[in-house]
Amino acid sequence: MFRNYLKIAFRNLLKSKGYSAINITGLAVGLATGLVILLFVLDETNYDRYNQKADRIYRVDGDIRFGGDHYILAVAPDAMGSALLKDYPQIEQAVRFRNYGGMRVKKGDEWIQEDRVISTDSTLFDVFTLPLIEGNARTALANPHTVVITEQVAKKYFNSTAVLGKVLQVNDAVNYTITGVIRNIPSGSHFNFDFFLPLADASESRENNWVSNNFNTYIVLKEGADPKALEAQLDLLAERYIGPQVKSAMNINMDDFKKSGNWVRYSLTPLTRIHLYSDKTAELAPNGSVQYVYIFSAIAGFILLIACVNFMNLSTARSANRAREVGIRKVLGSRRLQLVYQFLAESFLITCISLLLALGLVLLLLPLFNQVSGKELRVASLGKQGFLTLMIPLVLVVGFVAGSYPALFLSSFRPVSILKGKLATGLKGGWLRSGLVVFQFTITVVLLVATVVVQSQLNFIRNKQIGFNRAQVLVVQHTNALSRQAAIHFREDLLNISGVQAATLTGYLPTSGSRSDSPLFPDATLNQKRAVSMQTWNIDEYYIPTLGMHMSKGRNFSSGFPTDSSAVIINEAAAKLLGFDDPLNKPLYQMNSFTKKDVSAYTIIGVVKDFNFNSIRQRVTPLALFLRPSRGSLALRIQSANLTSLIGQVRQQWKALLPNQPFDYTFMDDDFNRIYQSEHRVGRIALSFSALAIFIACLGLFGLVTYAAEQRTREIGIRKVLGASVSSIVNMLSKDFLKLVVLSLFVAFPLAWWGMNKWLEDFAYRISIGWWIFAAAGLTALLIALLTVSFQAIKAALMNPVKSLRTE
Amino acid sequence: MIQLQHISKWYNVGGKPVFILKDVNLLIREGEFVSIMGPSGSGKSTLLNVIGMLDAPSEGSYEFMGQSVTSMKEKQRTELYKKNIGFIFQAYHLIDELTVYENIETPLLYQNVKSAERRAMVSDMLDRFNIVGKKDLFPAQLSGGQQQLVGIVRALIARPKLLLADEPTGNLNSKQGEEIMELFSKINEEGVTIVQVTHSEKNAAYGSRIIHLLDGRIESVSENSLKQV
Repeated sequence: MFRNYLKIAFRNLLKSKGYSAINITGLAVGLATGLVILLFVLDETNYDRYNQKADRIYRVDGDIRFGGDHYILAVAPDAMGSALLKDYPQIEQAVRFRNYGGMRVKKGDEWIQEDRVISTDSTLFDVFTLPLIEGNARTALANPHTVVITEQVAKKYFNSTAVLGKVLQVNDAVNYTITGVIRNIPSGSHFNFDFFLPLADASESRENNWVSNNFNTYIVLKEGADPKALEAQLDLLAERYIGPQVKSAMNINMDDFKKSGNWVRYSLTPLTRIHLYSDKTAELAPNGSVQYVYIFSAIAGFILLIACVNFMNLSTARSANRAREVGIRKVLGSRRLQLVYQFLAESFLITCISLLLALGLVLLLLPLFNQVSGKELRVASLGKQGFLTLMIPLVLVVGFVAGSYPALFLSSFRPVSILKGKLATGLKGGWLRSGLVVFQFTITVVLLVATVVVQSQLNFIRNKQIGFNRAQVLVVQHTNALSRQAAIHFREDLLNISGVQAATLTGYLPTSGSRSDSPLFPDATLNQKRAVSMQTWNIDEYYIPTLGMHMSKGRNFSSGFPTDSSAVIINEAAAKLLGFDDPLNKPLYQMNSFTKKDVSAYTIIGVVKDFNFNSIRQRVTPLALFLRPSRGSLALRIQSANLTSLIGQVRQQWKALLPNQPFDYTFMDDDFNRIYQSEHRVGRIALSFSALAIFIACLGLFGLVTYAAEQRTREIGIRKVLGASVSSIVNMLSKDFLKLVVLSLFVAFPLAWWGMNKWLEDFAYRISIGWWIFAAAGLTALLIALLTVSFQAIKAALMNPVKSLRTE
Repeated sequence: MIQLQHISKWYNVGGKPVFILKDVNLLIREGEFVSIMGPSGSGKSTLLNVIGMLDAPSEGSYEFMGQSVTSMKEKQRTELYKKNIGFIFQAYHLIDELTVYENIETPLLYQNVKSAERRAMVSDMLDRFNIVGKKDLFPAQLSGGQQQLVGIVRALIARPKLLLADEPTGNLNSKQGEEIMELFSKINEEGVTIVQVTHSEKNAAYGSRIIHLLDGRIESVSENSLKQV
């Protein structure tokens, strides 16, 4: 029986090759999209699962409110790990990470900048599953000046992994002995480092300072231990250890501390939730977002649905061709259910063929998808078990969704009327089919609107006045390889190059570099109620003119005023929050250390106009600029026709000073765009998805029109004999379908408007969705649909009526 | 075998019933060969469809081999007719995508006959009707007469007790038609009851009884003395 079904299915496929091709192509593209997204979702949801103890590992996260500031941290105090281990027997082990930034490593005569560097405890290997190829897990990180490196680094520096005992020279002076080589960290890890240095080197790690949070702290619970019960006790633990230190620093007890609206709380974040759900301050690396997983899955689902709708519509529209068979089978004794099975078998067959094609497409699409999404999905993961076990249900669901409606529809035919030749079916009475077409185009138009909105928001970002001039700024990175004096000389030397107009030496740039914030107080009593937490940046007097910022009040720093070392420039946002009528010459106080009572006073000498230094998702936040030495990078304002030669000259100067250090530079424009990487990504994704959706939807429309034209060949012939013009026939054939597309515009617009406003809410500075966006998306959809439809319509209208009437 | 009592069938057109069949009473015994004649629109095909259980009467009772068809559920009815009734159509109604062999096999599939047994039954029929050479051809590759022959073989494959034929020779030339009718006689002699609808007096004469329909009523019944059972 089943073989009989398959045979019929195959022969039907071959008989109407055109429609089969449309069905299979549509489903294949839909399935390929679905499969790629499935790979993506599997990858995202399996982060950190490579750890054997993944289900028992938790990170201790801080949630601190102090001095008008709210910190949501991925870090804890240095002593948190050891205190937990000591006080709670259900904890098996703890390990800390402390990020001290990158370092320069010597290879031969050359210095290489390495950024994937972390300091950690020797317990690392008890917590995370990082198999050692060389070395002893127990002792590898126990001693100072040792380093554990990954396989790829060992090969990069020594061309071999047998490198135990070899020495890496770091930052000019220090020698690190290699005590271990681990396998490369899997890509599905929320941290990805190449160099593991021992925390034994950092005295900070033994300070027992409970009011400073700098350590990413991970604990492993013993089997069966309850994380909730432990979490409930963390507040007590915090009070126990933090209380005395708060008392000695601020001379208040914890109760008073809390009464003035402060708190210090700690919680546990499960390891496996970090990648998708954690976006806190001081993460080891930027994490993914579960939002993307949802959005991607939803869109892929919709695209698959559009493809299924094609199948439904074409199958039911062409039902007349199968109706006779249904009638005969019923007369020969088939029950309805058996016919349902038969048609479902057909749709499964088509789905399976599409799947094969889709797998091929996945191979082609994967590199493209990686580019768009910034992931590194590999073809090899197609063979993973999770993928295979999910692929089969996917095919079953798609086959069922696509096939069930046609199966029920076709099997419902009454044999008597069919065999008498009365076919009331076909294209007429297909309100459900019309509904499905509207559904397809609604999704398509929503995606189109999304594309236009995202693109215009990106344009808006690109062209927004952000308060400084980011064009033509060359940033020389890693200038802290120079001594302070050498850096100052380097700046002055570069000014002699023709084309360099100005230069500033600082680690704090609006588009990249360091950030640091602390509360500033408008009165000397350090009244917490009036504290304003703000960014505190160290700059030189060339900063504001070089970057093209403007003063709204007062003056810039100047070497003519020796007192400027105790001066501060604030931005307008800070002035507003501090509540001064005239901020000029008002004092500001900053605590230099939390533990020791050490306060510095500054005088406000100027207010700089607000400029964006965060993503423009956020409003400009308060900022204070201090005239203090900082030499993380050197920003040059340039004006040159020959950029290559200019950069060449800068490099030459650099090499003269530091022959072995790498010369790294960026353009401020690029740094700025990098901040909006995720928006660019959303833009590209929206674009590719809407292209796919419109392709599949139009494929379906094409099929329907082709069939309609075929069905109405005789009618068209008669009309032409009676004198109808080509255009009136094209009009007749196209009208019905275009009506549906227009209808879908009206359904799609409010949906898209609502959805995209939600997306835009993330931006403090955003476009408003104007009518022209809908017009653009609507016209695009209509135009493409019109092209699709009219192609077939014109072909049908041009047919010679003598020919079409003769066949009847 | 078949007992129709007060069978009527009507459609409502503009609120008024239009009768296709009106108070038809008919008794057909096992082994009979009945021809139904009448002008277009007289209700012949509808009567045949009612007998074949493809159409339900609006009124009246129908007993088939002692069982009341009118009070049966759809599923039972399907079971009953697929075991006992074979259909033959004017337009042959073979499935275009299946070969001769597969077309003939199809009814057996729906009666869950085992594969080996199916093969034996189909081969046997192909032999008997001399179409072994055609078994792998598709309907489009056959002449009208050959297609109808396949249609008949398909109708007979499940060894039905009743054969219903709706103008079986309507699309054939006279020579082909004659062959088909000869075949019907032979089948009837082997014990299969046949009810056929026809326009042609000549073909009707193959039956043992001829029923004349006019406007949905039985106008007259004539016994064919030559073919008396």
